[in-house]
Amino acid sequence: MTPGIRRILSAFLAAVVSLAILLPSGAPAARDIAAELRKERGRLLEMKDREEKTVRELTEALRNEKRSKGRVDALRDRLKRQKSLLSRIDRKISVLNERLDRAEKAVRELEAAHGQARSDLQRAEVAAFVGLRAGTGAPWRPSVRERERHFMRVYLVAGAEGIDRITRARERKTEELTGLERQVAVTEKKRTSEKKVGDSLLSRQEEERRRLADIERAKKRKQEELKSLRAKIARMESVVSRVERQVKERELRARRRGAGGSAARAPDGDPRRFASLSGGLSAPLAGKVVTRFGRQRDTTFDVTIENRGVEIEAPSGASVKSVGQGEVAFAGAVSGFGNVLIVQHGGGLFSVYGRLDTFLVKHGEAVKKGTVVGRLPGSPSGKSVLYLELRAGGTAIDPTSVIPLER
Amino acid sequence: MSERPSLWWIDWRLSHGPLVRETIGRFLFFFLLGAALLSLLLSGGVSRFLAERYAVTAVLRAEVPSAEAEGLARKVASLPAVRSAAYRDAEAAWKEFLRAYPDPDPLRGPGGNPMPGYIEIRIRPDRFTGEDIDPVVSALRSVPLVERVLAGEEWLPRLLRAGRIASWACWGIFGAFVAGFFLVARLQERARAVASAVDFAFLAERGVSTGRLAFFRAAAAAVSGFLLAAAGTAAGGGALFLSLRKFPFLERVIGPPSDLLLPRTVAGALLFSCGAALLSAAVSLIGWRAARSGRK
Repeated sequence: MTPGIRRILSAFLAAVVSLAILLPSGAPAARDIAAELRKERGRLLEMKDREEKTVRELTEALRNEKRSKGRVDALRDRLKRQKSLLSRIDRKISVLNERLDRAEKAVRELEAAHGQARSDLQRAEVAAFVGLRAGTGAPWRPSVRERERHFMRVYLVAGAEGIDRITRARERKTEELTGLERQVAVTEKKRTSEKKVGDSLLSRQEEERRRLADIERAKKRKQEELKSLRAKIARMESVVSRVERQVKERELRARRRGAGGSAARAPDGDPRRFASLSGGLSAPLAGKVVTRFGRQRDTTFDVTIENRGVEIEAPSGASVKSVGQGEVAFAGAVSGFGNVLIVQHGGGLFSVYGRLDTFLVKHGEAVKKGTVVGRLPGSPSGKSVLYLELRAGGTAIDPTSVIPLER
Repeated sequence: MSERPSLWWIDWRLSHGPLVRETIGRFLFFFLLGAALLSLLLSGGVSRFLAERYAVTAVLRAEVPSAEAEGLARKVASLPAVRSAAYRDAEAAWKEFLRAYPDPDPLRGPGGNPMPGYIEIRIRPDRFTGEDIDPVVSALRSVPLVERVLAGEEWLPRLLRAGRIASWACWGIFGAFVAGFFLVARLQERARAVASAVDFAFLAERGVSTGRLAFFRAAAAAVSGFLLAAAGTAAGGGALFLSLRKFPFLERVIGPPSDLLLPRTVAGALLFSCGAALLSAAVSLIGWRAARSGRK
């Protein structure tokens, strides 16, 4: 459940808690109000069920959307990397092809040179033979002829060495060409494989986009639905507030009748009243405040939420202690808050503990400050959240203003 | 007191006509023979011709710089038996090679010029012998700059032997001509002696001794032979000089015209003239004796 939804639910809880507090202490004479309250409670419960369902669906849709967006982003990143990889492979293939062309050209040239050199050498050998037979040069100059024959030998040796050089160079180039061809083949294969991966990623991305669009549509629908519900809940809250006011007025009248002028002290939301409790107040558990009291901006739904309590993050299964001396006024399940325990400290002071896993005290049982009243549920992440709300005279006050809590 | 008549040039006075003809003939003969002699002296038979055709080739290593090669050529040229030593660089060797083979296209491969430079050593014609050539070749083979020495070891002995034979043949022909001259001149002398026998008998009746007459005839023949040989050789030398100047290719066979004036050439010509004088005197005496005895 997202913090936004929790905040919305906290508003409901506040109304429910108010009702839960007020009902046991209500005057027996006000039957019409009680009936109205029961009626409104029924309607409220029904709306809460619907709202809870919608919130679950919306949460699921949001989770799906987040997952889908994550997948789309991941696919986009992978596609980008894939394109970059393909581009690199293409460049490499291009470079390899250029080298291949050059090597092929070099091999062709070397083959031509080799053929030419062989042909030249053969012709030179023929020329040497013919010259030897015909007495090339000056026949009356034997020394010159001897020198010419020696030069022909030098030339033939040089020609043969040249052919050897060309042959070796051709072999080297041929080996290089073969290596390049192998590289090109391997790179082409890799490219085909990566192209397939890219196509697969593209189709998956398209599929994810379609799914995301579906989710977006569902989310929009659920948001509309939630908006409508929130409007209804607001109306309901106004009704509950009205009833609460009536209860307060009735309490005031009864107190005036019973205690005369001493009841002039009107209940109000002064935090100092909690400080005046006997024994003082202590933190219900060691943890960090993750949701603050008061008006908060919900970026998920782009709305402003009025938080009437705080949420304290603590290890799963942690013991929850009473913040002060009092009596258990309510212990039961409240939709959206799980198991809720309300301790009445007297003088219109209440402390509310939501999202409990188990209760360790019963309705009507007296508790002291530090008495373990329940435990937080377990969680795979190892962290759980306690909802803590303090009410003084029907008004929610910031728990951090009277209890030292880590923020 | 009885006056004794001079017997000098007695033949000239007794047989003027035949002697003029003989003199002209002998001059022409000595002209030819003198030219041949000078040619043989200058050429050394066929030595000059062969020396002109023979050369020792010192093939240099490929990395030898031109300056070092030229220095080596100068050192080689200073050897006693060497007439000239010329350095040819690789380019010249390549051109010579291309000239030698009439189809140069296949020889102009992409590998460039593979020919090394070389030094061509020519031997002096008068030192063109195996004993003079061998030290030159040995000296060249010991030089580190030289990769190979081409001295025609396979055919040089045959060439030298052929040269010797050819030279002997030339001198033999020359000698045959001299012998021919001797025979012809003897016949001429005898014929003239027979023709003048009446006159000689007349002189003998008047107290002129036969020996004295023969002596003076021989002496006159020697003088005239010397003069004719010298004049003929000089004329032949002049003709040879002009021929060598006009036909320079003959220098490669005979020699340069300037060599005609060398002391050894002049000495050779003088010796030839002296020989001709002696031969003329001998022919005169032999012809006289033959005429007296009635032999042919």
